Amino acid sequence: MTINFKKSALVLLALLIPCISVGAEMGTALKADTLRKEPYADAKTSGSFARGDKVEVITKQGAWLKVKAAKSTGWVRLLSVKRGSTATANQTAGILSVASGRAGTGQVVATTGVRGLTEEELKDAKFDEAEVKSLESYTQSAAQGQKFAKAGNLKAIKLEYLPDTGGSAQ
Amino acid sequence: MRLHLTLICVFAFTMNMNAAQAFDLNDALKTIDNIDNKKNSQPAESPAKETANNNELSINLISPTKKEEIALGREIAGNLLGAAPLVKDAGLQKYVNQIGRWVASQSERPDLPWHFGVIESEDLNAFAAPGGYVLITKGLYRKLDNEAQLAGVLGHEIGHVVKQHHLKVLQKSQLLNLGANLLGSKVGKDSQTIQKVIGSGAEIMARGLDKDAEFEADRVGLVLAARAGYDPYGLPEVLEKISEVSSNDGSVALLFKTHPTPDDRLEKLANAVGNHLDKITDGQALPKRLYHLK
Repeated sequence: MTINFKKSALVLLALLIPCISVGAEMGTALKADTLRKEPYADAKTSGSFARGDKVEVITKQGAWLKVKAAKSTGWVRLLSVKRGSTATANQTAGILSVASGRAGTGQVVATTGVRGLTEEELKDAKFDEAEVKSLESYTQSAAQGQKFAKAGNLKAIKLEYLPDTGGSAQ
Repeated sequence: MRLHLTLICVFAFTMNMNAAQAFDLNDALKTIDNIDNKKNSQPAESPAKETANNNELSINLISPTKKEEIALGREIAGNLLGAAPLVKDAGLQKYVNQIGRWVASQSERPDLPWHFGVIESEDLNAFAAPGGYVLITKGLYRKLDNEAQLAGVLGHEIGHVVKQHHLKVLQKSQLLNLGANLLGSKVGKDSQTIQKVIGSGAEIMARGLDKDAEFEADRVGLVLAARAGYDPYGLPEVLEKISEVSSNDGSVALLFKTHPTPDDRLEKLANAVGNHLDKITDGQALPKRLYHLK
């Protein structure tokens, strides 16, 4: 009897899980990373995930994302997870195959009819003096740019350029 | 025989030979005469550090002056505008220039006369040409949710200009042609000759850069936007959006042909960022200030 109860609970769970993930924001781990109990670099760890693992994005706080991975839940840096829209597991599964150079996400979508700029069009393009003059007429001075920044409460900060890590995880 | 000699000279020159000592090679490298006589629309700049011959401005691709770099970029941008003109919305163009200018001011080349524009194309793409010309398509602009994302995209293009990525491509291809140019006593003038350097029309934009140049521009773009006070995650957010677009979609055909995949770029960016942004907590996204397309 108890076995049956367990069984039906499992069946119920199996039915529920896909329902819960529908509509949730999904993501794919861009690199292996440690999950933390709080959104800080020195917070205690609560688990980890591997590159390519699918996760569910629970919430965002500043530069941190709270995600649910296969075995644990916790916070990771924003860029450790590529967020998709409300994608189903099937869609996210295709994400890293695109990264590895295979075209398509496995989900074939008909072209939208936007043809786009072609190589031929660019090759045949003729210099347009009037358009360049127009482009140059909108030029802003450094002082004008600064004024606009100030109006938006933008404050310049110091930050070194990022190192070229060549794609290998640190 | 003469061709061989010339090529040897060229190679010796590229091996860090002092330009001033390179006898008449400098002269032979002049590919353009009087470009500034033809066009006088360049905004006055603070006096260039480089000394250019006033009467006879030439483009020396091996160590171009700022003026030469701008002249090349102007030609490329003008050709691109011939294929896709500016969106006729002065408010939009001014807005993009205000942000672009502020982001560019955070780079090591704030002295360039930076020009930014939104062009009539439903493609998702953005372009940079030497000397500070940056164009973004209306299609890509429409995808943006906030100003920080625009700053990130412009920052990426500013990165190409600052690191002289296109110029380096031109230098490489021009070196291959140099022998021929040196043998011809008079090559054409003005834009005809620039055309020889940049290829036909805006085809340099269809050829693209190498992957490392794109990854570098991503790193530079993110940092410049962050330095400007924006939320540094604008650029990666745009890459996430682009990766959602089916690769069968015509609007990303050129972008995907000329760039590494968005996922590859996001992964490289994630690795480069590591913990370097941990202390940046008050970057602005400014969603409300984003100019809405008419």
